[in-house]
Amino acid sequence: MTDINITEDQRDCYQELSNVAMGQAADRLARLLDAYVVLPIPKVNMIESSELDMAIQDAEKDTAVSAVCQGFIGSGIAGEALLLFKDTSFQDLAALMNYQGPLNRYGELELLMDVSSVLIGACVHGIGEQLEIHFNQGHPVVLGQHCMAEDILRSGNHQWTKTLAIEIHYTLEHVNIDCDLLLLFTEDSVVKLNKVIDYLLD
Amino acid sequence: MATNVLICDDSSFARKQMKRALPEGWDVEVHFAGDGVEGVEAIRAGKGEVVFLDLTMPNLDGYGVLEAIRREDLPAMVIVVSGDIQPDAQERVRKLGAMAFIKKPIDQEKARAVLTEYGILTGA
Amino acid sequence: MKDPNIEFGDIHWLMDILQNIDVGLVVLDRDYRIQLWNGFMESHSGISPQNAKEQVLFDLFDEIPRDWFMQKAEPVFQLKTRTFTIWEQRPYLFKFKNYRPITGRAAIMYQNTSMIPLESIDRSVDHICLIIYDVTDIAVNRNDVISANQSLRELHQYDHLTELYNRPHWEPKFADEFRRSQRNGRASALVLIDVDDFRLVNANYGHQAGDEVLRTLAGALRQTLRQTDHACRFTGETFAVMLVDTDAQQAVHFAERIRKDVETMSIIAPGHELSVTVSIGVAASQPAFDSPAQWQQAASKALNHAKEGGRNRTTLYQHHS
Repeated sequence: MTDINITEDQRDCYQELSNVAMGQAADRLARLLDAYVVLPIPKVNMIESSELDMAIQDAEKDTAVSAVCQGFIGSGIAGEALLLFKDTSFQDLAALMNYQGPLNRYGELELLMDVSSVLIGACVHGIGEQLEIHFNQGHPVVLGQHCMAEDILRSGNHQWTKTLAIEIHYTLEHVNIDCDLLLLFTEDSVVKLNKVIDYLLD
Repeated sequence: MATNVLICDDSSFARKQMKRALPEGWDVEVHFAGDGVEGVEAIRAGKGEVVFLDLTMPNLDGYGVLEAIRREDLPAMVIVVSGDIQPDAQERVRKLGAMAFIKKPIDQEKARAVLTEYGILTGA
Repeated sequence: MKDPNIEFGDIHWLMDILQNIDVGLVVLDRDYRIQLWNGFMESHSGISPQNAKEQVLFDLFDEIPRDWFMQKAEPVFQLKTRTFTIWEQRPYLFKFKNYRPITGRAAIMYQNTSMIPLESIDRSVDHICLIIYDVTDIAVNRNDVISANQSLRELHQYDHLTELYNRPHWEPKFADEFRRSQRNGRASALVLIDVDDFRLVNANYGHQAGDEVLRTLAGALRQTLRQTDHACRFTGETFAVMLVDTDAQQAVHFAERIRKDVETMSIIAPGHELSVTVSIGVAASQPAFDSPAQWQQAASKALNHAKEGGRNRTTLYQHHS
């Protein structure tokens, strides 16, 4: 396996593409919740499979989260989006979504699915649109509820050694809602993506 | 005389994209700034008669730049070019004195439309 | 069909595929009236496309809660985003019976559904498409695994009723914190929270109500705790909370907040709405404690003191050296 890497120009380009996509996703979330989403600068990194937890900020690791994962694929480029949703966020989310039912594990799962549909869908679509790739999305999979973020990222016998990770940290203004969206591409997708990126950079 | 245009964005890719989107035949001198601090300096130096401004930037973000322009009463027509397309963001920058808002990704058509609408681009 | 590669004659094939594909396809208009109903849907529901056409989805299938469904579907219309539901959140959308007498092991068909926006020529979304996947096999297998071993880990860590740590899982964390505070003098506090007259709640309102009281309290605790704090169900109606980096005064403040919250909280149990109070004992770490057990005894003494003092109050353990 040749060593996959990205140049500084490519990294910058990925960051900008993510920035635009996350903005589109935030816009949809903002409309859904009628609130303002604070947008940071997305983090783009090549990471080793052993350090998947490095993809998220240190402050986030020791946090109880619920997590959903969803695959996407288009034009031979594939990856997975992972949404880590802080458990402390559910109460405010329920209020914003007008959720009436009891806020137990099932209630939380409902809310989690609603938010992840919007955030993951819009973000993946946004990146695809800029690259002129139509991504099909697989069905979401719940990775865990009330787990430590670190444990979720650590588990799993990964089939790759090094790949591209994009981390987007969403917070909402004035309310306690906090989540992390992580996009990971498969190794061979990175090679193809880099070609598309180089074309854009030309 | 050529118009001084400042493109202020932390991404070199976005700056390049923006430059490409400037209408052909528009007599301009293009300057670049990689963050808000550089941006304000460039505007003070008169390099930003028209500014294309990103919002999410390190050191000083786009909102900070708009505030500085207002505070120091700098002569700049600011067009915000941002990925943050929430209605709230658009309203905030308008309140801070931005002339127009363009959603990223930018292209020639969008840039031309805005520049024409505000009479910056005439006859070109 | 936007694809220019598809010739008119091919549409005939596509319709055949649509009819025979082993997933459910339903197209709905803006008023949730059925516009397309494929063979899968016909076979499992027994409703023909002719009879389904133009019917409002909820009129035809009263197992689909209107509000719930609209919450998933409206973003598809308005934001043009796809939404998904999975069997874990709702086992099925359409209540289709199991149709496999030999290999089927569930009474109903578990389903995942996708909702995708269908754009019209002017790019607005006037229709959405539901795609229904039969995931019974996955669900049955997963449920097997969960009941067999996956939940074992959870069972070992969490109290089933309150979803807080259980005591065996909490004790080592507490012992660690004891040692840490002994070593570097860091302030930490143990808080014991006990429901007043819990026996009466069970006696007067039934055990279900008692369970709901414990669940509600646990929920309130979870909302108040920081990530670094650890709470557990200590005994039947007593909760223990270990607060790190917290001195006696801050711990009392925390305890009082909980106590007052509980006092004003109304708890909804089947057939009743009730309120309870709690008594709280607080013990801050002391260099004089020589075991975790001694620290617990101190908190327990403080709790007894609060009970004897008339309940619904917080007592701080005073160390007499």
